Amino acid sequence: MKDIITSLRRTPYQTSAAFLVLFFTLLLSGILFISLSFIQGLLSYVETRPRIIVYFQIKAEGAEIRAVQKKLEATGKTEKIEYVSKKEAYNIYKEFTKDDPVLLEMTSPDILPASLEIDAKSPEYLPVLADFLKDQPGVDEVEFQKDIVQNLLNLTRNIRRAILVFFAYLLIMSIIVMATTTSFKTALKKEDIALQRLLGATNLYIRQPFIAESVFLGLFASICANVSLAIILFSLNSFLSVFLAGLPDLTISVMNMSLQVWPFNLMFLLTTFGITTLFGLFISLVASLAATNRYL
Amino acid sequence: MISFQNVTVKYPYGNLALNDATFEIADNEFIYLVGPSGAGKTTILRLLLREIMPASGRVIVDNEEISNPKYHDLTTLRQKIGIVFQDFRVLHDKNVYENVALSMRVKGYAASEIKNQVVEALELTGISEKIFMFPAQLSAGELQRVAIARAVVGDRSIILADEPTGNLDPKTTWDVMKIFKKFEKNKTIIFATHNTDIVNSMKRRVIVVKNGAVVKDQRKGGYEL
Repeated sequence: MKDIITSLRRTPYQTSAAFLVLFFTLLLSGILFISLSFIQGLLSYVETRPRIIVYFQIKAEGAEIRAVQKKLEATGKTEKIEYVSKKEAYNIYKEFTKDDPVLLEMTSPDILPASLEIDAKSPEYLPVLADFLKDQPGVDEVEFQKDIVQNLLNLTRNIRRAILVFFAYLLIMSIIVMATTTSFKTALKKEDIALQRLLGATNLYIRQPFIAESVFLGLFASICANVSLAIILFSLNSFLSVFLAGLPDLTISVMNMSLQVWPFNLMFLLTTFGITTLFGLFISLVASLAATNRYL
Repeated sequence: MISFQNVTVKYPYGNLALNDATFEIADNEFIYLVGPSGAGKTTILRLLLREIMPASGRVIVDNEEISNPKYHDLTTLRQKIGIVFQDFRVLHDKNVYENVALSMRVKGYAASEIKNQVVEALELTGISEKIFMFPAQLSAGELQRVAIARAVVGDRSIILADEPTGNLDPKTTWDVMKIFKKFEKNKTIIFATHNTDIVNSMKRRVIVVKNGAVVKDQRKGGYEL
């Protein structure tokens, strides 16, 4: 440890450059991981709530709607079906437009359609049920979350791609800077390395101090990045709690284990810190191995 | 046992650094390798360290043909050999103890064993009182003692000394030679030099190299070119 710190102190500029690049990379990686997990959690939530809303024509009778409901139940693909009458729809509308009396005055229960809110057992039943409903008498419009899920899927896919490209850029940049720094230090120790080789040192023995130094820097940078990340999250937590009020608990599945990503919790933070630290160690190891490889 | 069998080494432009050299060195033998500068002394030492490869012929160390291109146990070979250079080649950011201990650390010795052997070697080479000093604080003679201590610790059976007294004054040269004498009973020592006085006064086997060829090989010989 003493040797590592002495070596780092002897090359302050290279050490600072490597540390700052690594710190920046790991902090951004942590932020990106949290963002991606949050979006993935949101997507999972939407996907687990397969819902169709079918609006009936104004003239459709209650009995007609009940008959459709029975047919739907008979398919065995529905979890829950809720009938919303014209009156209930009007009450919902009233609540929704309570701050705008003009809008309310223009509306009466007669012009609002009755509807069925259907929770499917699985998202894959949504198109089947939608097609079934379109053929039923009195049906005016069928709305389901296919578009929302599809849009969210597209968004997640694009964000994931962008993050992967950004990750790759950060990874390559960090490895190059770390490898350059280690190469410089290796070059400074060229004569020592030559002597060690003459004495019969193995490649691992020669590499060890450079790898140890790099790993130390990686660990230190990841600790700093994790502390910064924790400070950022704790500062934003109260704002996010208000901003995202009403959002249910979001979870993602990691290796068959469920991990809650919202609201922020200790387990999610520890997972993020673990991933950031592993990423830091990976960068340090690859960079130091690549740099020392040139002289061995 | 070291054996050179018709060994020829060529420089990149075709000149011969060593020409058909053949000789054998028994275990625990002390030999002087003498000859003018550029005669091929260092080439012989470099062949033994497998820093260079011969163009033809065989170099055998402890029954292993190290000149064979398929020989891959370089680490084991070098861990048998201690080296002493004219320019000492000590690590300037390490103190005396650490410099000597390096020779054992690369072989994976335990810390307690390193301590015992290093302290003993430093006592034998007469530099134990400067154990925690750094190279910049030592004289040339002291640096060479450190280098010799480094070469003898860690059960290294062969010592290659390449002009080890070249940078030393006559008195220090004799002090260093006395140290080599202490270790000659249980080490094979190949001592490359062109110091006539040493060779003539401490009679040992002499191999004379000239223009890349072994021109003389005498038991208890003197320095004659």
